[in-house]
Amino acid sequence: MNTRAITFAMVFAIAYAVAYVVSVWHNYALFTYHPALGEIGWGVEKSRDGPAMYWYGWMSTALLAAIGATVIAAILPAGFTQRLRAGATWVVTLALLLAILYMLRNYFLR
Amino acid sequence: MITTLLIIHGLLAVALLGAITHQTLAVCWPRRKAPEDHFSGRFRAVNAAAYSNAIVVLYVATMVLGAVIYPEFRVSIRSVVEELGQRAVMGAFEAKEHFVVVGMAMLAPYWYFWRTPLAEQYAGARKWLTALLAIIVWWGFLVGHIINNIRGYVA
Repeated sequence: MNTRAITFAMVFAIAYAVAYVVSVWHNYALFTYHPALGEIGWGVEKSRDGPAMYWYGWMSTALLAAIGATVIAAILPAGFTQRLRAGATWVVTLALLLAILYMLRNYFLR
Repeated sequence: MITTLLIIHGLLAVALLGAITHQTLAVCWPRRKAPEDHFSGRFRAVNAAAYSNAIVVLYVATMVLGAVIYPEFRVSIRSVVEELGQRAVMGAFEAKEHFVVVGMAMLAPYWYFWRTPLAEQYAGARKWLTALLAIIVWWGFLVGHIINNIRGYVA
């Protein structure tokens, strides 16, 4: 099994997931979709006529961040990136799920 | 059209739920003894690795369809849920929206961990990542089901 490919997969996955949650937390949407109008605007826009959707924009921001992180991982010496343990994938996933619930706590506590 | 896509989305979610539940129970609670002639024993006695490709394909397909129908939810359904004062349900849906993205991000390492022959060094990561994906899928399925029937629940 190609361990370098697994390392890149882990770097991409962790970077994407972390960048996504940070994007949601601070609203770093790459673009805004206005579903009632079928229009797209760059960056974070307020709702025009109907709701504004940032979900696709957050995922796109995370994709760019994950690509960047993977490119950096490819440039770094192999010994550096191979310190990343497989367990980091589930630990980060669990931490992010809890962070998301914390972020949304007002929906459940009020 | 949206209704058709929603039904397909739901059917794919059912298939995904079955596959990930089989795999999770098989890896977290493996069958120890040879013949167990009861339901839970047979449920866990599957070749867990054989499910990973199907789970990845079903996860992506379910999520893509969800992303296609999401704008209709945002325009037509969310306001109804808010008018009904169902804040916890809305929060659970928001969590679903974010959980599934985190889960999707982990599909590549998940797939690698399940490649055969199974590498012993990934046994722990394989088990826990699969269990977390199962939690995400179950959360998404149950919340989607509640949202789909929200008017009936609060009537």
